[in-house]
Amino acid sequence: MKGQGKTTLKELIRNQWFFLLVVELSLAVITGIVNPRFFNISNIMNILEQVAVLGIVSSGMTILIILGEIDISVGANIGLSSCIMAMLIQRSSSPILPVVVGIALAVGNSFLVGLTSRIFRAPSFITSLAFISVFQGIALAITKGSFQTIYGKFETIGMARFAQILPLSFIISIGAYIVVHFLLSYTKFGRRIYAVGSNPSAAYLSGISVTRTKLTGFLLSGLFVGIATMVLLSRIGAAQPSTGSGIELQAIGAVVIGGTPLSGGKGRIIGTLLGVFLMGIISNALNMLRVNPYLQEVTFGCLIIAALAVSALSSYRGKGRS
Amino acid sequence: MLERETPLVYLKNITKIYGFHKALNNVSFDLNKGEVHCLVGENGAGKSTLIKILSGAIAPDAGEIYINGQHFRSLTPRRAIELGISTIYQDAELVDSLTVADNIFLGSELSSKVSFLVDKKNQIKRAQEIISTLHLPLVADMMVEELSASQRQMLQITKALYREAKVIIMDEPTSSLGMEEKPALMSIIRELRDRGIGIIYISHYLEEIFEIGDRVTILKDGMNMGTYNIADVDIETVVQKMVGREASAFFSRRPVEIGEVQFEAKNITKANLVQDVSFSVRKGEIFGIGGLVGSGRSELVHLLFGAMQPDSGEIWLRGKKLTIRSPEEAIRNGIVLVPEDRKKLAMLIGRNIIENTALVHNEFFRNSILSQKEEQKLTSSVMRELSVAMQSELQTVEELSGGNQQKVIIGRWLLDEESFVLYIFDEPTKGVDIGAKENIYELMVKLAEKGKSIIMVSSSMPELISMSDRIGIMRHGRMVDIVESKTITEEDLIKRFIGV
Repeated sequence: MKGQGKTTLKELIRNQWFFLLVVELSLAVITGIVNPRFFNISNIMNILEQVAVLGIVSSGMTILIILGEIDISVGANIGLSSCIMAMLIQRSSSPILPVVVGIALAVGNSFLVGLTSRIFRAPSFITSLAFISVFQGIALAITKGSFQTIYGKFETIGMARFAQILPLSFIISIGAYIVVHFLLSYTKFGRRIYAVGSNPSAAYLSGISVTRTKLTGFLLSGLFVGIATMVLLSRIGAAQPSTGSGIELQAIGAVVIGGTPLSGGKGRIIGTLLGVFLMGIISNALNMLRVNPYLQEVTFGCLIIAALAVSALSSYRGKGRS
Repeated sequence: MLERETPLVYLKNITKIYGFHKALNNVSFDLNKGEVHCLVGENGAGKSTLIKILSGAIAPDAGEIYINGQHFRSLTPRRAIELGISTIYQDAELVDSLTVADNIFLGSELSSKVSFLVDKKNQIKRAQEIISTLHLPLVADMMVEELSASQRQMLQITKALYREAKVIIMDEPTSSLGMEEKPALMSIIRELRDRGIGIIYISHYLEEIFEIGDRVTILKDGMNMGTYNIADVDIETVVQKMVGREASAFFSRRPVEIGEVQFEAKNITKANLVQDVSFSVRKGEIFGIGGLVGSGRSELVHLLFGAMQPDSGEIWLRGKKLTIRSPEEAIRNGIVLVPEDRKKLAMLIGRNIIENTALVHNEFFRNSILSQKEEQKLTSSVMRELSVAMQSELQTVEELSGGNQQKVIIGRWLLDEESFVLYIFDEPTKGVDIGAKENIYELMVKLAEKGKSIIMVSSSMPELISMSDRIGIMRHGRMVDIVESKTITEEDLIKRFIGV
């Protein structure tokens, strides 16, 4: 956990996060040499803006995965919440209440995924799979499949830039990482997350309520999904039922690339942060290098496999990371 | 023995070591055609290890295996089956969703004319043939999930016969059977024996052994205490051989002043597991719970700790009736449990020693934000008190030795000692080296001196006798007896466990 004090060079090299950082920097340098526009401030800010939503969703996903749970309905949840948020904004003078309602809906949706998983003793993978259809279906029904534009009524969060440069959405995502880091490392709840993820029976016999801990995890993840919805809607200015779809796989990918195993009980947010950045950099670099967009998809898949290989190899060597 | 025909099985000077523990020490064992050879011994005497070696599940560290005179260093499960060795397990590995016939032919299905289809009709016919030669109460096309425990056993025997088993190993075959089903099993065993099959019969119930056995081998602490013709021994002698140790196996503890009754369990009942158990533990008292494996010891303490809900019964602590619906509530009320299975039920694998130790303490901590300094300080002091051998508190817990792991787990319950009244230890020294054992005993005495009540479930008789003030004896889910440990011998104890 806090072995940083006496990190030797050897440990540093073994560290998956260090490895990720090196990969990211080298990628940036190579892309920058081929296409110097990569290092333009506007391009870098563009990357930061693009990874903001993914970062917020991945922060919540990190909590769930350490808990030994997963939620593959976050994309559909964003779809439904953003549609409702947009439709309410259309009908009201101030966006504040609609945003609050939308976030609350996202929290409730995520809680439902967790609750059904606990009540029916089914893996959350399955219950969230089921809820993908529910969320998408409801979104389609209420929008009748149409595009919900908000005509610039709620632009601030998505468009504002701090000091004219740094996107506000990126600052919000950094806030999400910091909150999750603080929760995981310094709070009682964080200890419960690791304990429940590592060994639910042991946690239960030590007086921790496994159900309460897991449901709190789903509530938190829902909150992050809600915030991500708000940022996304503000940036795009419109919503449709398919908004956000596919982000669940990117988020799970980012968490796994960051060295958090799906078996739970291990992992840190710094890994997720680097995982998200890697996704952003690669996607941008591939665009800069004019790689066929279909091949970009292939690259993401290979990336996740590569991350699994790195973490498998480092655990073969024994210790390495906490 | 050897001048007669070659034995079916001859295990010669087998040794198996687990860590620092010799599970089998130079044990020899043989089995002839058409004989029932019984294997007896306490929990942990080495019976299961011997069987695992013969069925190929594990390899011995030293010794030789002869099957029909053919020499082997070790066997694999597949090899053992090919050689005609079949084991009938207590928890049978049967596929519930298939029929009796399907299970018999599992892995070697009969093909029909279309080569990759299974010839179900033929399978059912062949299976029924085997079943009827033994007059077994089975139907070949029944679903396995509908079978009773006794029928499942019959199915395993049928399966063994189909594989042309020459040696059948039965591990506690009557433990899952009702009284009325035993005679049927006994007559099947006789039938098998008359067909020339060699049977290794393991049971805690000595009367069965005298009913069915031809010879008996007694194991104790991994050593062969002798092999006898059943006709030449009596129950007394067998019991004596099963127990009896040098004084060094016993720990001599300080006496602790015992006060008033602090904990009471009244009529605790849980269907099929624990029947109507009542006992009390006083201040400063160590109350041992002994009994055979499967007698309901662990289930009882899990009921007291709220990890399982009793159907009926009451728990009283310091004159107050408690309703405990979860371990969380038990802990809040001052009852704690150190469970038997460290890896499964206690250790946070992959997490460091501080997190493992401070786990319970953190739950008592008032603020939501933890003081990492305090965590570290408390952990260090407890680890020092228990003399845990480690490089750093940031090591993950699974890197420690078994004994040190156990100390970390126990340490978890010491940080908030003043809030706890009753400590339950389930097999506290299982898989623990001698040094750590003494630390743990010492700690239990210290807790008793501080006025805690202690319940200790143990399979080790020296441990029960030397640590406990009184011993509650569990048999078939009931606490059949409570004895003063000062006056009891190992021999008395095992007799009460078995019920002879």
